[in-house]
Amino acid sequence: MNYSAAVFASLGLLLLLAIAWLAFSGTRRNGGIARNGRWERQGLHISHLPQIKQALTNSDFMYLRDQGYPALAKGIRKERRRIALNYLACLRVEFEKLLHLARMVAVMSPHVAVAQEVQGVRLNLEFSYRYYLIYFRLVSGIAPLEAIGNLSDMVSALTVRMETAMSELGEQAVLRADLLPHNGGGLDAGG
Amino acid sequence: MLAGWWSEAVTLLARLFATVEILHLVLISYRGIWGLAWRLLSTTSVVVLACVVLASRGRPDLALMRADRGYHLIFAAALTSCLALVRHYFIRVENAYKVLLVGFCFYSCVKILLDTVLYDYLLQQQQHSQYASVWQIVVVSPYLIIVLFWGAALVRPLPQKQQAPPISMYGRISPEIHLQLRAINTQLMNFFKIEEPQQ
Repeated sequence: MNYSAAVFASLGLLLLLAIAWLAFSGTRRNGGIARNGRWERQGLHISHLPQIKQALTNSDFMYLRDQGYPALAKGIRKERRRIALNYLACLRVEFEKLLHLARMVAVMSPHVAVAQEVQGVRLNLEFSYRYYLIYFRLVSGIAPLEAIGNLSDMVSALTVRMETAMSELGEQAVLRADLLPHNGGGLDAGG
Repeated sequence: MLAGWWSEAVTLLARLFATVEILHLVLISYRGIWGLAWRLLSTTSVVVLACVVLASRGRPDLALMRADRGYHLIFAAALTSCLALVRHYFIRVENAYKVLLVGFCFYSCVKILLDTVLYDYLLQQQQHSQYASVWQIVVVSPYLIIVLFWGAALVRPLPQKQQAPPISMYGRISPEIHLQLRAINTQLMNFFKIEEPQQ
């Protein structure tokens, strides 16, 4: 079998696997975003970034070591690293939740900008790359403060994008509701 | 021989129109996503077409065979991209439509593999006498399987056209989302600039 045939066969096989996955995996449900029809109002993890940064600085550990408690310093460092890892996992959940929301807004929007959607995909890839980089650095004991800050900035960036998009959609929804003759000019916001 | 290829071209075109129509039915309520799907279909088709043309140069005696394989590759790649897009945006596809689309795509993938692997295999084995019968069996078998699946899926009547998401739903979820976003927004920097909505 020549080179071209091998490429075509591989592509055919890949597409077959992709379509099987798409067919049998079903439509993803964003159950983490809404439960029982209500949006979860849980704590926002990125607001704890300063505390996490503080927890990972070396000053506390150095102080304890200087005072003659190296074992305690080691134990606290381990514990704080565990907390930072948990924070990282929560940040990921928050990011994915925002991505889900961004997609839902796009679905409801009559105009979807390709550049914005590509940017969303790029953000997602960038986030995943940074997430695992920081994760492995944390596990290996190197505390990457700056990188955690960058990651939080990405969550923030997506949130701003969401805010603007939701405002636009809100205005459009109000306009549409006003135009409906049976609606009495008001937006049905009953929950 | 030529009539056979022409009839193949007609069925390929009919399949293309059917696929676009099904995608349109699925995405008719989502104007923005439909626009995105169209662009994705066109871009994927052009890119794959360029790759196919580059990979299939030479051997004019195999031109029709390679054109057929190229068409199936473009078709399968574009359709898979669209289905991935639909999944990406959590859009629910009715089972009947899903079975039809997956059936089209599955058949195209099988044809790519048959046009590539089986043809080479038969050529190497020098089994020219059995070529036609073997070819008929392996090409018709997957098609019959798909037709069975389609038949089962189309026993029930097709669903009505999907309605646009109701505004009341949007009005209910929107304030809840805003609550979360405003809380986060207190410490944000603006990285993105959103285009002004066209009125």
